[in-house]
Amino acid sequence: MSVSLYPLATLAQIEKTPSREDGIPQNLEEDLRAYGCKLISQAGILLKQKQVAVATAQILFQRFWYVTSMKQFGIGDVGMGALYLASKLEECPLRMRDLINVYDLLLQRAAHTLSSSQHDFKYAPMSYFGNTFYDLKDALVVAEMQILKRLGFHVNVVLPYGTLVNYLRVLGLTNRSEVCTRAWGYLNDALQSPVYALYPVPTIVSAAILLTTRHYGIALPSDPENCWWELFDAEWEDVWSVCGYIMRLYRQKDPMEQMQLLTMINKKGVRQWLEENHSNSDVR
Amino acid sequence: MNYVQLEKLGEGTYATVYKGRSRTTNEIVALKEIHLDAEEGTPSTAIREISLMKELKHVNIVRLYDVIHTETKLVLIFEYCERDLKKYMDAHGDRGALDPVTVRSFMYQLLKGTAFCHENRVLHRDLKPQNLLINRKGELKLGDFGLARAFGVPVNTFSNEVVTLWYRAPDVLLGSRTYSTSIDVWSCGCIFAEMISGVPLFRGRDNQDQLLHIMRIIGTPDDRLLRRIATEAAPPSADGQQAPPAPKQYPRYPKIPFQQVLPKASPQALDLLERLLQFDPSKRISAADALNHPYFTSTAMAFPVPPPGAMAPPNYNFPHPHAHHQQQLSQQQQQQAHAQAQAHAAYLAQQQGMQQGVYPNQATQAQAHAQAQAQAQAQAAQAQAQAQAMGHFIPYQGSVPNVPQYAAGGR
Repeated sequence: MSVSLYPLATLAQIEKTPSREDGIPQNLEEDLRAYGCKLISQAGILLKQKQVAVATAQILFQRFWYVTSMKQFGIGDVGMGALYLASKLEECPLRMRDLINVYDLLLQRAAHTLSSSQHDFKYAPMSYFGNTFYDLKDALVVAEMQILKRLGFHVNVVLPYGTLVNYLRVLGLTNRSEVCTRAWGYLNDALQSPVYALYPVPTIVSAAILLTTRHYGIALPSDPENCWWELFDAEWEDVWSVCGYIMRLYRQKDPMEQMQLLTMINKKGVRQWLEENHSNSDVR
Repeated sequence: MNYVQLEKLGEGTYATVYKGRSRTTNEIVALKEIHLDAEEGTPSTAIREISLMKELKHVNIVRLYDVIHTETKLVLIFEYCERDLKKYMDAHGDRGALDPVTVRSFMYQLLKGTAFCHENRVLHRDLKPQNLLINRKGELKLGDFGLARAFGVPVNTFSNEVVTLWYRAPDVLLGSRTYSTSIDVWSCGCIFAEMISGVPLFRGRDNQDQLLHIMRIIGTPDDRLLRRIATEAAPPSADGQQAPPAPKQYPRYPKIPFQQVLPKASPQALDLLERLLQFDPSKRISAADALNHPYFTSTAMAFPVPPPGAMAPPNYNFPHPHAHHQQQLSQQQQQQAHAQAQAHAAYLAQQQGMQQGVYPNQATQAQAHAQAQAQAQAQAAQAQAQAQAMGHFIPYQGSVPNVPQYAAGGR
């Protein structure tokens, strides 16, 4: 395999992810993946990190769950490790302490939301030499190493933005800025879904363009003889499936579901959930 | 561990290198031990080196055989090479200067390895004599990919802090972050001149001084070029970290012909050097094109054969196009001698092939694959729309789940 190719999950990995093997339902796993990616993105914004590093981190994060179960590693730790690793790869390294402080803030905020307390959230900074710091640092180093190890150092990531610009040019859509912005936005949102670990970039970009042109009612050649996505070597079924993954991110979650995710940031939460739910099914 | 650790070979900033022997095959290898630092996790140099080198399989690139990952350290197992080019020049050269036959052989191999990296979309970014390794067979191999990176559709600017100063291209010295393969070609040119003369060509103290050293020899380029490089170097950066540098004035140096700088070199060598050391990165020859330069392809040996008793030239057999043989009727004698040499080289190559078993085959396969890919990419770039047609649908089989070589659990 050449370096310019990027790894995609195999059929076997897609059919049965390690987390599902451990009893985590598919929907829950996808929601947890999306939540983990959202944390990466929030941390990236707070750290003023470049989007290329944030996007790379999210893709590595998604790949990781095809080789590892959420029962073994928490989405918080792995997300933190992925962002740290991706920042090194994209030549904009982060200071460990900055990243840890930001993740601590995000975790505290999640805990505050869970506690349903009446007070407004107030961030309590950790002490400089406190245990919180050293615990998070250990988790960070382990997560980074585990990502490298389990992905076999296949950390090459191809980002979709350049391809999108090319395709929009070919389709003559670059003069409509709202189209470009929306398609670009779909690509960014898609980072919260597993598609970058499942489909080649041209397919994902085609899906973003399809969603955008449908939204604005823009007609593109779509007759069986000459379909625009075929020009980009994308299969209709694949494009449609990617659209499904992206649209699923926007569905309304009920508040209970949302709260449930917050309790499962670390593996302890995941294990507890598994215990409760599987003992229930035993009783039945 | 499957390897016996022998004597220490060297120590770098983040790694220690030992000689080692495989317990299973008795093969001699180099073990690069990287201590995992709790302060910054896995060093990014190690990440780059492993992620890029495990894919680059070529005779002129040091082979990464295996990686052992433990709690406290990472051990990379590399193909063993006797020494680096710097030490080779000190030991075999005449005050560092190598004889023309050796220079040509090494230069060919250097460009071959560099071209292979570029075909596979990898920039080495730290080519210098200390990072070129020479084995007992006279094969030159690119090593130390700690600064290398993959490049593709440009979405990002790159780090400006690359390449050891003396081998750093002028556009990088001027602050370019959008450089590409031409950065390695410049380094190749510097190494070429150094092999011919025995001393580094441009020996600056710092960034500015280095630029002046370069201009003093290849001349100050015109303002238009300098301005173009400067504007490329300092685009309005979004993060606002870097203020655009004030346009600098440089003394107007005339160009000194390379003939004067390197009186020993043949005209063809000087012509190639000229093309490698272009100030303007877009005018610099590509590594692949350099391999087709008459310096390598013409069979008329402009070099004297080293006197008997002198160091034997490395027996690396670089290919000569057969067409040229027929054209050189007037030089029948030379041709005969050359044919003999070729036959000998072919014999040696065959022998090597037998010893190594399947290796040569693999290498050519990998190369053919890379070429096919590079072609596909070129086409894709042209057609824009059909971008990246090939390869994407090859299902990515097994590498992630099995991770055969890299799983530490196995050891």
